[in-house]
Amino acid sequence: MTRSHVASSEFARERGMTTETVTPGWAAYDLPLEEAARSDGAPSAAEPPLYAEADGRLLRQNIAWFCSLRWLVIAALAGLGLAAWAGGDVLAHRGIRVTPAWPLAVAAALGLLNLAYLALARSAARSPRHAARMLQGLWLQILADLVMLTVVVHYLGSLETFAPFMYLFHVVLACIFFPPGRSLLVLLSAMGMYCACILLESAGVVPPGAVLASPLLPGREGTPPTLLACHVGSVVLISGMVWYLASRLAGALRERDRELAATNRRLLAATEERAQHMIRTTHQLKAPFAAIHANTQLLLGGYCGPIPPAAVAVIEQIAARCEMLSREIKAMLQLANLRSHVQHFPGPVPIDLPALIRSCLSNLKPQAAKRGISFAEDLAPASVCGVHDHAVMMVDNVLSNAVSYSRDAQQVSVSCNSKTDGGAVVVVRDRGIGIPAEKLPHIFDDYFRTREAVKHNKASTGLGLAIVRQAALAGKIRVRVESTPAEGTVVSLDFPAAPDAPQKRR
Amino acid sequence: MAYLLIVDDDTDFAGAVTTVLRSRGYEVAVETDAEQALERIRRRRPDAVILDVMFPENDTAGFEVARAIRRTCGALPVLLLTAVNQSFPLGFSNKDLDPAWLPAVEFLEKPVDFELLCEKVAGILAGTSKAPAP
Repeated sequence: MTRSHVASSEFARERGMTTETVTPGWAAYDLPLEEAARSDGAPSAAEPPLYAEADGRLLRQNIAWFCSLRWLVIAALAGLGLAAWAGGDVLAHRGIRVTPAWPLAVAAALGLLNLAYLALARSAARSPRHAARMLQGLWLQILADLVMLTVVVHYLGSLETFAPFMYLFHVVLACIFFPPGRSLLVLLSAMGMYCACILLESAGVVPPGAVLASPLLPGREGTPPTLLACHVGSVVLISGMVWYLASRLAGALRERDRELAATNRRLLAATEERAQHMIRTTHQLKAPFAAIHANTQLLLGGYCGPIPPAAVAVIEQIAARCEMLSREIKAMLQLANLRSHVQHFPGPVPIDLPALIRSCLSNLKPQAAKRGISFAEDLAPASVCGVHDHAVMMVDNVLSNAVSYSRDAQQVSVSCNSKTDGGAVVVVRDRGIGIPAEKLPHIFDDYFRTREAVKHNKASTGLGLAIVRQAALAGKIRVRVESTPAEGTVVSLDFPAAPDAPQKRR
Repeated sequence: MAYLLIVDDDTDFAGAVTTVLRSRGYEVAVETDAEQALERIRRRRPDAVILDVMFPENDTAGFEVARAIRRTCGALPVLLLTAVNQSFPLGFSNKDLDPAWLPAVEFLEKPVDFELLCEKVAGILAGTSKAPAP
């Protein structure tokens, strides 16, 4: 297949339209599959987890984020250590005294811990009690990080610099991810370690460290205990205030989350109820039409005796209208079923695509023959795995559209080919009225029909491509439409390979 | 003459189907109540049952009758009439359509084309030695 490029346009890109087409000069549109999760606008049924431990996946994501954050800290410490090692004199000249050993040692220790956390997270993910194990791992990380931070605070200067305020990073993160009780525990641990550091330094167990050697800064010797207590108290008080504010704000956010989740659930329930109501109503509507249809068949089939030709014409009109309404009701039911969240789709089965296409064609041929429309078939053996009825709905609607919007006595071509990755592509091409480029992004909307389409075929339900869209989203089947007004339309259905499908040799 | 039982609450539809099937030489009876259908089958076993899925009292009554037929009448052929495509009609689960759970059942979608209906009936009867198609 030769691919060519349509003249690029911002318009096309903004609407998800692609600039690569099979047919030179035709506009193309790829149905986006990303919105598959909630394509119908229905909200998620699951309540968003309020705390990290409520959801294993979220917890894993957060742990991964903490680990990547930690790599940045490790890089900064390693950078400081290397700078001290390579340019210690320059730094000393600027009043900064850093011995390269401690930043490099802390960076190495943190690096090892980070690798251990990642390994723990991976093994915990495989464990049946993964959420509990990952939460234990997370607390271990917090405590180990606080110890490392206390070492850094000690070396930077626990009183001489603003380093103690780095504890606030942990406190704020704890407020975001934990309920107030647990974030308070993090605050108390942090402040406990800081006070322990000051006590050890004051008692002379460890000599105080300070990277700043400014003559403006007084030494630790001779600092009155009251001043020391005031200094430490300020740090503890400020941290406590930050914890209080952050936990209040995080609590308010969680409350909003909870309200949003409850609203989402109510919305989902209402959407589901509406879908069920629609299914039931359309189902009830279909039964009388089935009876009318059956009775018109009786009359036209001569089961009730001879009927005058004028009456036959009237009955045929009734039968045609009845069939049209039945078709519309069927389309509404199919769409409602595809969108219903309580309906269970049948499991995937192997689908013989050429056989499926031939079956759809045999249903369409009588209708196509009335308008002199013929089919050119090029069906290579191709088998995919999917929901059989979804595939039938997609192929049937695409073929039916090709016939409906073809001009009389034209040809509709349908091809089917397997792909090297185990999937298959079905391409349906008509030489009909085509679709204007600016309408392409809307053709999968419910009841959307272009003015030209309405003029050409009044009987269409406007739901065929909406059904194709829902089935495509459910089966992750890529759909591409290429078209030019007055020249025709090409629709490609790209069926994915089954997860365990053997790949073809190239 | 093969004896067919139509189980459908829609008398208009059932009447039209009865007319067509009788014209093809079948003996046909109609039962409009799903719960009474089993009793009727017990009284006189038909050669095949044409069974609607949805009944006013229960959306899945047809499936329940079909399962009861399987349990009590073995391989009695059943032709299920559904108003939507057969895979996921209203309120049904995959299990309802599992061949292991509901064996030897044929499906036909409403509105029914009579020629197709007659073909299906002849087909399911031909599959049984008890009552070949007339």
